[in-house]
Order: sequence, then C-alpha cells, then structure tokens
Amino acid sequence: MERPFLGFGLGLRTDHYQYVIENKPQVDWFEIISENYMVPGGKPLTNLDRIRQDYPMVMHGVSMSIGSTDPLNQTYLQKLKTLIDRVEPKWISDHLCWTSVNHINSHDLLPLPYNESTIEHIVGRIKHVQDVLGRQMLIENLSSYVTYNNSEMPEWEFVNEIAKRADCYILLDINNIFVSANNHHFEPEHYVNGIDSDRVMQFHLAGHSYNGDMIIDTHDHDVCDPVWDLYGYALERFGAVSTMIERDDNIPPFIALRQELEIAEKIAANVLTKEQLQITSDPALKGVA
Amino acid sequence: MSTLHELQHRFMDYLLAESTAVVNDIESTSMLGAEDRLDIYASAYKLRLKEAITTDYDKLASYLGDEQFDQLMERYIDQYPSHADSLRYFSVNLPELVRDEAPFNQVKELYEIALIERAFANSFDAKDLQFATLDELASLPAEAWATLQFSFQESVQILHLKYNSFPIWKALSDEGKPPKSERTGLTEWVLWRRSNLVSHYRVLSKAESLLIDLAIKGESFPVMCERLLDFFSEEETPMKAIGFLQSWIQEEMLSGFSF
Repeated sequence: MERPFLGFGLGLRTDHYQYVIENKPQVDWFEIISENYMVPGGKPLTNLDRIRQDYPMVMHGVSMSIGSTDPLNQTYLQKLKTLIDRVEPKWISDHLCWTSVNHINSHDLLPLPYNESTIEHIVGRIKHVQDVLGRQMLIENLSSYVTYNNSEMPEWEFVNEIAKRADCYILLDINNIFVSANNHHFEPEHYVNGIDSDRVMQFHLAGHSYNGDMIIDTHDHDVCDPVWDLYGYALERFGAVSTMIERDDNIPPFIALRQELEIAEKIAANVLTKEQLQITSDPALKGVA
Repeated sequence: MSTLHELQHRFMDYLLAESTAVVNDIESTSMLGAEDRLDIYASAYKLRLKEAITTDYDKLASYLGDEQFDQLMERYIDQYPSHADSLRYFSVNLPELVRDEAPFNQVKELYEIALIERAFANSFDAKDLQFATLDELASLPAEAWATLQFSFQESVQILHLKYNSFPIWKALSDEGKPPKSERTGLTEWVLWRRSNLVSHYRVLSKAESLLIDLAIKGESFPVMCERLLDFFSEEETPMKAIGFLQSWIQEEMLSGFSF
C-alpha cells in the first residue's frame, strides 16, 4: 500500500479555538474528538466549521466501544455518519477497546483479552461499522494497566490480526506503546517491530505521568525524550506516517504545542527524505466495497 | 473459560464498586498486584465523571463547597451510571437528585442553581435555526394573522424560580460573594442563545411568560391575544401582543412563522 501522508497535526481543543480562528497558524491538519461535536449545534459546531474551512481534519472517537459485547450502538453510528458528512475527514479512528457493557458507559478506554475469540468478535463489528459508514477506519492501540489471564498473544499480534481480517488500518500511539511496555514489562521496540507496516496510517504522540512504578496515560505533559526516541525508531521502520500530538489536560498555549510539534518535524526530517515527507494531495481512504 | 461478556460485566462491577470478582481474571506482577492495577481504572472512572459534573455545575460546586459537592457527586455517580455516548450528557439528571434528596433538598436554592446551569449548557449547543426578522413579520399577508403560529429557537428555555437563584448564580459567575438566599415568589425567567452564540437571560412578566408558553405549545396568535385579555384591556391587548412579538424577534428568540 502507498500510505497517504498528511504531515504533522495537532488535536483541536476548545482552549485553542479562538487562536486558531484568528491567527490561522501553520499546522498541516487537526484531529478532532468526534463525540465533542455530536451535539445539535451552537458554538462547538460553529467553531468546527470555521476551522475546517482552513485545515484538513481527521476524526477520532472515544465511544464506539468496538470491543464491547453490547450490540453496536446504531444511534451512535448514525450520529458519527452525520458528523463525517459534515467534516469530510481524511479518515476516522477509534480505540481497540471497550467502553461500555450492559449499556453503562465507563467513559474510559478499557482493555481486552488478547485471544482468538476476542479477535473474531471485534473483526465482525469493525466490518459492520465500515459497512455502515461506507469507509475504512483506523483502530488505535491503548495504554493499559492490566493483563488478563486468558490473553494468549502479545498485543501487537492481536492488533495486526484484527487489522488484517477486518481490512482496517492502525493508528499507532507511540506513547501508548511506551506506557504499556513499562507497565507490562516488554521492549517497546519489540512492539514496533511486530506491527504490520502496511496497516499503519497514523501516529499519536502524547505525554504521560508516573504513579509509583506505573505510567498513566494522562496527556498532561510534553512528550518525553524516550517517546521521541521511540517515534524516531518507528519512523525508521514505517517511513512517513501522519503524526499528531494529543494534549488533553494542563493544556499550554497553542504556540507551545506548535513548537512541540516542530520536534516531531525535525526528527522526521532527520530520519526520512524530503520525497518521503511530501504531503499527499488527496489522501482520503477509499470506501469499502 | 469465562466469556468476554462475563469478563466485561465483572470489570464494570469493579468500577461500580459492586464486586471484586474480576481480580481473579487479572495477572499480578512483582511491580503491582491485580487489585492495585484495577484500582487505576476505578480511580480514573470516578475522577473522569467528577470532572464532567464539575464542568457542568461549576457555580453549584462553588456554592456548596468542595466537601458537600463531592458528596453530591458521589451520590450522583452511584445512582446515575452513565448511559450517554458523551460525557456532555452524563450529568443531565443532577438537578433532579438535588431536588429530591436530603440533605440537598433542604437548601431550596440549590435545585434552582442546578437548573440554571443545566439550562446554560442546553442553550450552549442547542440546534442552530434561522432567526426570524421584523421584515418577515411585516410582509406576512393579512390573512396569515388568523392562524399565525410561532417557532422559537431550540435554545429558548423558561425557568420557574421561587428564590433569588439567578442573582446568586450571577455573583458566583463573577466570582463574587453570593447574596443571602431569599424566597422571591414565583418568577419566570427566559434563557436563550443569540446569533453571536452568547446565552442571554431576563425575567419575564406573567403575561409574557404565558404568551411564550402558549406559542411554544403551538397556539395561534388569536388564541394568544385572547389569553392576554386576562392581563390587559381590549384596547391594549393587540399592541401588547405585537410588542412582545417584536421584542422576541429583536432579541433573536424566534426562528420563524407558519400559518
């Protein structure tokens, strides 16, 4: 597959709406949290429309609950489809996790057991979502703090297998690999090496916090040096991958985030050629047949 | 081996503090035991929901103080597990809990402050509709008035308050000292979002409140005028009704007419 490349983006956050609208800073693209715009109207959608006029966007969800054993929420999928029609994103993503069961939403990204029956369960659901939305989606690896006794394979094999069988793509969160590697005692490079390159469509970068020996995926700090190193390693393995920084708490001024994104740009410029870093002019993913 | 559904059920029970059975499904390591690992999720669950409630009811939080607001949030999280796709809608039932349950229902203005905050949240992201104009009103054909009905912006909400809760809310909003709570008698307030996306509010007279209520229920202009006779003379009523109508248009509450 020739991977489309959007360049370097940031997560669009309410704190930065005004700055972005007034200054139109140079950023290749923005990622929005889909659920923040699943509202009837008002400021969220007005600001979204204004910013969308000037920037490409991708949509990132937190509530699809693709790994849940509840039936897929068709109302949610229709709301997502409506938002897709409005935003016309380059692609959409959600997490390889479950968030709700018995119709109670934890509003958290909860981990799954890595085994064959879970794979079968999720592959069918992703296929259904892709059929409903008429497009392929990306699934993101989590940060996690537990391992289930009935897991039978490493996480990267689980991710690969689902992406292959569902014919979807991978949003590889570099920070999440680092966090989970610490919490579950594996080498993060081993994870990167294990991921199928031709399924990787996007990278996430973020900061984290320590809680004793555990690392928590808090998105409230700058990206740390070991994660930058892992990012460089991932670029060497995968080539140019659309990259963005997520910041959800302790949010700094936009300019500071933009400067942090320059670190990603510099690392990519050191690892890859200018030709590899050419932004793809029309990178929308194909609809599913 | 347990099914995925059973596993997820046990995990959710842990988050809801209903059962610790899922501990047996989780590996313990030398770094951290299974229960401590699960507690990371249980803590995050509550923290996230409390953040959402505090965001939606920050004035109520200031008014109650940290300890009592935390008690309220704990109660709400226990009684209203989220069925919403988005955290935006998690705390929508908080005013009803405040109204119905001790000790919160013993401080009457708390319910009204919660209602005000929920109304602001609802107006913030209510559906965008057209704004009716005075020109459109002026160009209505004469025969339209016999059956004329009005559509309001979806952000328009009427609050029936018995205490000085709006002044209390305003003081909290300005980070000032709120006035002492006092019963004011039933007062109707209207809250809505204008075209500049800013939410406004003002007090309503009994007559205007009734008229808006009738209009929202789909009653026609003649019926509304007839009910206004309870407040005004026959000579005054048409001009009063037109006056209300014009102010609703100028204040961007109306979205359109039908006849």
